[in-house]
Order: sequence, then C-alpha cells, then structure tokens
Amino acid sequence: MNFKYRKLSNMLRSGVLLGGLALAAVTAVTATPAVGAPPAAVADAQSAAPAAPVAAVPATAPAGSAPADSAPADATGAPSGQPPGDFKTLDQEVQRMKKDVIELNKDLFVLQEELLFPANTQVAVYVSMDVGAFFALDSVTVKIDNKEVKNYLYTAREADALLKGAVQELYLGNLKVGKHELVAFFTGKGPVERDYKRGATITFDKGVGAKYLELKITDRVEKHQPEFKIKDWE
Amino acid sequence: MHRVSETRVLCGFALGALLASAAFPAPATLLGKPAPDFVLKSLDGSNLRLSEYRGQVVMVVFWARWEGEARQEMPVLDHINTTYNRSGLVVLGVSVDEDARRARDFAQGMKLGYPVLLDTTPDIGRDYSIQRMPLTILVDRSGVVRFSSVGYKPGDDRTYLDKIRELLRE
Repeated sequence: MNFKYRKLSNMLRSGVLLGGLALAAVTAVTATPAVGAPPAAVADAQSAAPAAPVAAVPATAPAGSAPADSAPADATGAPSGQPPGDFKTLDQEVQRMKKDVIELNKDLFVLQEELLFPANTQVAVYVSMDVGAFFALDSVTVKIDNKEVKNYLYTAREADALLKGAVQELYLGNLKVGKHELVAFFTGKGPVERDYKRGATITFDKGVGAKYLELKITDRVEKHQPEFKIKDWE
Repeated sequence: MHRVSETRVLCGFALGALLASAAFPAPATLLGKPAPDFVLKSLDGSNLRLSEYRGQVVMVVFWARWEGEARQEMPVLDHINTTYNRSGLVVLGVSVDEDARRARDFAQGMKLGYPVLLDTTPDIGRDYSIQRMPLTILVDRSGVVRFSSVGYKPGDDRTYLDKIRELLRE
C-alpha cells in the first residue's frame, strides 16, 4: 500500500515538473519577440500559433498597416525599444473585437425580441405627434382589454423629439388571436395652458400576424384643439 | 450534545442572515452597476428622467418628510447643489411619501434649489432596495452608481464632498 502511494506521488511530482518545464518553454518562445528581434525560427513559430492574437491580425489588417512578422524587425531600429507596430495591430484587434461584441449584442437583441414577442401574438403600440401647437404632451396611459399595460411620462426632451418627427415604440406585448379593445389616455397642457386629458379607443381584430397600432396626436386648426386618433396598421 | 445544538443555532443564524440579505439586498449591491433609470414628476410639473443627466455627476437622495435625518440633510444638500451645480453636479431629491400633496407642501416650505421629484409608487424604491432613509446615491458621468449611503449624521457631508470632487474630476 505504502509502495503504491509512493509510486503515485512520484508520478504526480514528475508530471507537475514536466508541466512546469513545458510552460516555461512556451513562455520563453512567446516572450522572445517582445524583447527584441526574434530569430527566423521563432518568428515562424509565432505565426504558426493559432491562438496568438497578433499573428491573426495581418489577415484582416488594412494594406497600409505593418504586418506582425515585420513589426519586431522595425522595433530593432526604434530608439525607445518599443515596437509601435504591435500597438497598432493590438489596437486594431481591440476595435475589431468591440465591433464583434456590438454585432453579437444586436443579434441577441433580435433573437430575444423574436422569442419574447413571436409574430403571431405580437402587438406593438407606437406614438407619433404632428405639429402639437395645441397640446404639450405629459403622459400616455394604455389599457388593453381594461388592463393597464403602460403608463409613460414624457420629459421635455422626449416630447420635443416627438414634435420633430420621432416615432416612439410605447408598448410591445403579446395578445391572443381575436377581438380586443385598446384605450389610450393622453394628459398634458391644452390650449391656453390648461390641463388637458383626452382618451381614444379602438377595437381591433388580432389575426395570425403581428399587429401594429399608432397613437397619433394632431392639431385640428379649425377648432383650435388637439386631436387624438388610433391608427391600425395591417 | 451541547456543542451540536450550539452549531445548529449558529447555522440557523447564518441561514437566516443569508435569506434576509437575499430578500432585502443592501444598497451596496448597486455599487458599480448602472443606476436603475426612472422618470418622475417634479414639483414644478415637469417630468425628469435620470438617464437624461448622463454626462453629469448626479446625486440622488431618497427622502420622506417624516424622517428626521432626511430633514437635517436637505439644507446641506441644497448648499452642495449651490456650490457644485456649475461644475456639473445635479442633485435630485426624490420624495417617497405616498401623500404627494403633503410632500409637495413640505418640500416647497424648505425652499430647496434643486429639483424635488415625487414618487408615489413602490417601483423605484424596490429598484434601489430602499430600507431606510435618507438614501444618498452618487451616479458618475457614465450612469454608474459609485457611492451610496444610508442615513445621515452631521459630518457625512464631508464624505459626500470628497466623493463629488473625485467624480467631477473624472
């Protein structure tokens, strides 16, 4: 029993020792180019390493940028001893990775939207404003089938953006196929700075596809009053 | 036997503390994380959204009129606001009083120079894990919570000022 245990511990020790040696050798090979001009064999080994980020850059780098293999050679001539090419390629690599992360984030967002709000049950409510001389928007409350689904307070900047032509996605949710009723309440300041509260209702049929509804705030110039409509986009 | 029961009691305490911390996370859990966004009506009737102050250092103070420490802190914050407003500091006082009318009367009586927002719903309090007031939070220019403090005692304003100066320099 004792003999077996000793043998096992010896094997482990030698394994750890070998692993350490291998790690030291790898570190020495990869660290050499950073210190100074590498010999050709080391440069080849570096370009052959698939995981090295610097070696991967020249394939995607623009024509004007220095390739990684030539960077250490340039470095020998630099008085500071720091290879500027390496920084450039590293920066390019970071920029590329940032771009990839943004792309991935966008894809994930689209996927999440598709999963959470599948087209066959999706209902989206948008808000738009035209002119707005007779109404300063403060808040909108949306009720679907008598249940409040959204209450939104508008800051001055948001209201201003709507006046400039922005369209806001106010609510995104799921609804079963069939008849539904949407009621929207608009509050704000009406003509002559008076508190104003109005409602608009629509009964719509939710089909198999997605449903898009637009809450439109417009001015009725002849009556000097704002007008609130709900448009059903098929 | 006695030792076993002692261990059990200790385990029970530890478990209880763990559950309590999970149910009511301390505001410190917000540190280093983006400040939960909110939009609230201010005393002058305008709506203010926290995320619209991105690029400025924001000090958010949750208070209630019945809280003595909050009453002490409000004039101090008013002084800080007057001093550092031009340097890029925004102070927002959020009243969590359910009675908006009384909160409004109280805040107007204090004649504060910074905007006071009225929160009558429990959502924002939940987002910020408010357990005790006043809760003072400092949000940096990128919208991340960098400092939080529960309660107020004279001298705390020095800590606030140190943190504010540090964030304004960034």
